[in-house]
Amino acid sequence: MIEPFTDVVPSFFGLLNQGPLTLTIFLHTIIILPMFWIYFSEKKKLNK
Amino acid sequence: MAEQPKSVWSSISFWRRSAAWVTGFAVVLLIWLTFDTIGQITMGTDADLQNGVTKRVPAPTVINYNIKYEMNEKRGHEAPVIGEKESFFGKEWSVDEAAALLHLGKLTSQAKNCMNCHTLLGNGAYYAPDLTKAWLDPAWNNDGPMMGMTGKSTREEAMAEFLMHPSKYPTHARMMPDLGITAEEAKGLVAFLKHMSSIDTNGFPRNFGKEQGGTYAK
Repeated sequence: MIEPFTDVVPSFFGLLNQGPLTLTIFLHTIIILPMFWIYFSEKKKLNK
Repeated sequence: MAEQPKSVWSSISFWRRSAAWVTGFAVVLLIWLTFDTIGQITMGTDADLQNGVTKRVPAPTVINYNIKYEMNEKRGHEAPVIGEKESFFGKEWSVDEAAALLHLGKLTSQAKNCMNCHTLLGNGAYYAPDLTKAWLDPAWNNDGPMMGMTGKSTREEAMAEFLMHPSKYPTHARMMPDLGITAEEAKGLVAFLKHMSSIDTNGFPRNFGKEQGGTYAK
C-alpha cells in the first residue's frame, strides 16, 4: 500500500499522494469525522 | 402541548457549525497548498545544476547542458534528465547572459503571440504543435527532417533558422507564418524553449514525440 516517494520536491501532500485514493481518503477522513462529532454534540445539546 | 420530536437535521446550529467547519478547513487547506506549491515551482540556481540537485524548474543556465527525455519507470512517465555540458550557439552562457537571453526569449514569445497557435506549459492553443517539450522533439535530431531541411549542423541553429524563416520550410499542413523574428530574438526563443523543455511537468504532454496527429497538426 505504501509506495516509494516519487515526487521531485518532497512535500506533505506528495507524501499522501501514494495513489489516486490516499489523498481523497485522508481529506474525507479529516473533514467528515469532525462532522460526526458536531452531529452528536448538537444532539446532546438538543436532548438537554 | 405535546413534546416536539427534536431532530439534529432540522437544527440550524448543526448546519451552521458544519458549514463553518468545512469552509474553515477548505480555507486553511488552500492557503497551505499555495505555500506548498511555491517550493515546487521556485526556480533552481546555477549551483543546483553544478551539484546535480534536481529541481522542477532549473536555472536559466540549463541551456549549457544536454537535456534528455527519459522514461521514468517509477513515476510511470517521461521526465527531462539534465546531462553533460554542451555548447549552446557555440559558447557557454554565464548566469547573467543566460538569464538575459531567456528573458528576451520570453518577451519575444509574448510579443509574437506564440500561444495564439501553440501551447506552452499547458497554456495556449492546439492549432499548432505543443511547444512545451519542443527542444526534445525527435524531428530536430541530427537524423531528423528539420535538420536536413534547414541545412544547419546543430539543433539550436536549425531551430533559430526555422523561426526566422518559417514560411520557407514546409512542416505541417498548417504552415507557420513569417513573424519577422530577428536573429537575436530567435536565439532567445530557442533558449526559452530549451529551458521550458527542462522543466519537469510530470510527463505533460503525454506521449510527446511518439504520437502523430492530434496536436501534431497533420
